[in-house]
Amino acid sequence: MSIILGKDDLAKYPFLEEAGTYIRESHFDLDDFNRSEFLHIIERATKRIEFALIQGKVFIDLEKYDIELFTFLVSLIMMKYIGEDSAIKKFSLLEAIRVERFLISDLLQEKDLRKKNLIISKIFRELFQLDVELDAKNKNLFKMNISDYLQRATPFNEVEWKLINRAVDNGYVYLDGDETVRLIRYEIYTLMYNRIKNMNITKIPEQIKLHATLVKNKLTPSIKYARRISDLPPCIKKALELLNKSENLPHSARFMLATYMLSIGKSVDEVVLLFQNAPDFNEKITRYQVEHLAGKKGSHTKYTVPSCCKLVNENLCYATIDCKGITNPIQFGRKK
Amino acid sequence: MKIEINTKNKDFLVTLFKEYYFKNIGLLSPPIQMHNREFGFMTFDGRVIRHLTFSKIGSLKAYIIQNVPSDIFCSNAYYQFPTFPINEKRWRGADMIFDIDLNDLTLPCANEHTFYICSNCGVVSRDLINLCHECHSTKILKNTIPCFRCINSLKKETKNLIEFLKKDFGIQEQNLEISFSGNTGFHVVVFQNNYLLLDSKSRSDIVGYLMGKNLSPESLGVRNDKRGYRIKIPLSGYSYGWRKRIVQKMKIPEVSNDQLNKFIKKMGGYQSFKNEIDKIAYELGLKIDPQVTTDIHRIFRMVGSLNGKSGLSKIVCNDLDKFDPMNDSCFFEDDRNVDISMNIPLKFSIKGKKYTLDKSISTVPISVAVFLISKRLANIVNSSS
Ligand code: SF4
Ligand SMILES: [Zn+2]
Ligand SMILES: [Zn+2]
Repeated sequence: MSIILGKDDLAKYPFLEEAGTYIRESHFDLDDFNRSEFLHIIERATKRIEFALIQGKVFIDLEKYDIELFTFLVSLIMMKYIGEDSAIKKFSLLEAIRVERFLISDLLQEKDLRKKNLIISKIFRELFQLDVELDAKNKNLFKMNISDYLQRATPFNEVEWKLINRAVDNGYVYLDGDETVRLIRYEIYTLMYNRIKNMNITKIPEQIKLHATLVKNKLTPSIKYARRISDLPPCIKKALELLNKSENLPHSARFMLATYMLSIGKSVDEVVLLFQNAPDFNEKITRYQVEHLAGKKGSHTKYTVPSCCKLVNENLCYATIDCKGITNPIQFGRKK
Repeated sequence: MKIEINTKNKDFLVTLFKEYYFKNIGLLSPPIQMHNREFGFMTFDGRVIRHLTFSKIGSLKAYIIQNVPSDIFCSNAYYQFPTFPINEKRWRGADMIFDIDLNDLTLPCANEHTFYICSNCGVVSRDLINLCHECHSTKILKNTIPCFRCINSLKKETKNLIEFLKKDFGIQEQNLEISFSGNTGFHVVVFQNNYLLLDSKSRSDIVGYLMGKNLSPESLGVRNDKRGYRIKIPLSGYSYGWRKRIVQKMKIPEVSNDQLNKFIKKMGGYQSFKNEIDKIAYELGLKIDPQVTTDIHRIFRMVGSLNGKSGLSKIVCNDLDKFDPMNDSCFFEDDRNVDISMNIPLKFSIKGKKYTLDKSISTVPISVAVFLISKRLANIVNSSS
């Protein structure tokens, strides 16, 4: 007898083909979302999006599968309606991290090997064409082809991802569950992003529109970085520009950016999210580092923004006429 | 770098290269998917001609016999449009190539048989010079005649590479080709499907792996810590790849937390452990030319063609141990003699015969003349005998 994914699994992975089938078979019509029984779903989706876009946090709450499937669907429709690219990116990333968490615990804790293999084949193989296998001896160890590994790991710059620091044998790289899942973050992210972008709904239910508009209104001031991007000093603007192009910023530039953002009153969460586009983004590490800079960790000293003089030396200064007379980027735009 | 060569020498080499291709054209084996490759040539005047395509071996051979290039190259890459400019060729993958060359081995015997040649007046010096003492030209060419120790070191390095490729990278014998470059090195080509699509960055990571670069103690489960170090045995253990090499070399038999701890303590802590790893990694790492492997648009010397720097052929080595470059890759027939004048006194052997030549005019077999003239160590005097 072949085993199939259970409903609990669909709740965690609502982007799988089977989830779509479920919704189709339930003879559900989009207009049903205007009915009051579905209000709690829309509200839940709203919460999920606000979590991501406003607080910059992963929504970890997991409900029964039918609730999850519909919440997921509504979230995507809402994001489509909100439409702002930076918001869609942010949402997709946090959704990817959510999926990552479920996947890691499934890979580590699932005792039923057939089930474990099924999850691997559904998500890694079918969705991303990535062949991942369980090691014959250690069932918590995974292996993939060296070339599959390299394609995904070379964008990360940390030395731990270099092939030489991996267990390599006979054409395979051996990885633990966390690492295996980390390698497909970008693919999950892209999947989410494309789902939203390619969604084609002619008539979005009024209730959904209404909620989405409310979220969007809350959003506009805080998702945009500073007061206005034109108020930022050129060095900071340049660093943000590079980050948004997913380019790799040197450590000194990250330090400058983080201390600057903290000094103009951004929260740790907001600063962490700034770095989400960095090719080697690791939420945990970045959060730790930013908290450290904010004086919440370790020595409890709050780090200050480096002086213009220092930034000039580090090749991070892109001074314009507006920089006249200032010695630290935080003075930018204050003196007139 | 290609240097100019005087007309008499050039005419001599052109005639003989042409004869070689005429008689040995069968050695030139077409690469797989020939019609997707870019071909390139170096002329005896030092010009490089690129972006050519030949869909059949016959037309390539005809071109060669007609034009007699000094060197023949073929892309490691497969292109949809091989003749278009680089950005429009539509890259469809590339063989993985490795170059093991004396230049990267830095052997102690190197200065016993390395020559510095002025490309302007042809003066040869055994000492490193930047300026010709005769004509003050700064165009100095470095040239070496590998000795048997050199060849053995090259073979050893090649075997190490093959072992890495087979054991760590799972590359099968039939997807590997080992050849003598025709001058001072060996080439290894991998045409195993799953590696062909790797980009330059991935190939560079593979090079780092092979050369033993950036191996971190963390990958062996040893972390730097405020109080010294912390050990966490990696889930994937120590029986694979570099980890295995390192613990074997350090002679740690059963790796456990205790064992490792004892060992690091004895060494003197995290930093000394790290230094030791760096040392071993350098020792066991391969000495290859990183640029060749990371270049996915390279034109690479073709098997069966003559190397213009030596007059020897690039030839596949089926039995590396027995392979003798000065014999097995020299295809010129010694059916006649020619007169040459040496630019420097020289002792060497080719095709099993020893030669001791002084600076006066010597009468030597064709193979010797081609070799020495290609090496810029001699000039033709008279070829009409
Ligand atoms: S002068 Fe100061 S504020 Fe202006 S770009 Fe340079 S570092 Fe930034
Ligand atoms: Zn000279
Ligand atoms: Zn030597």
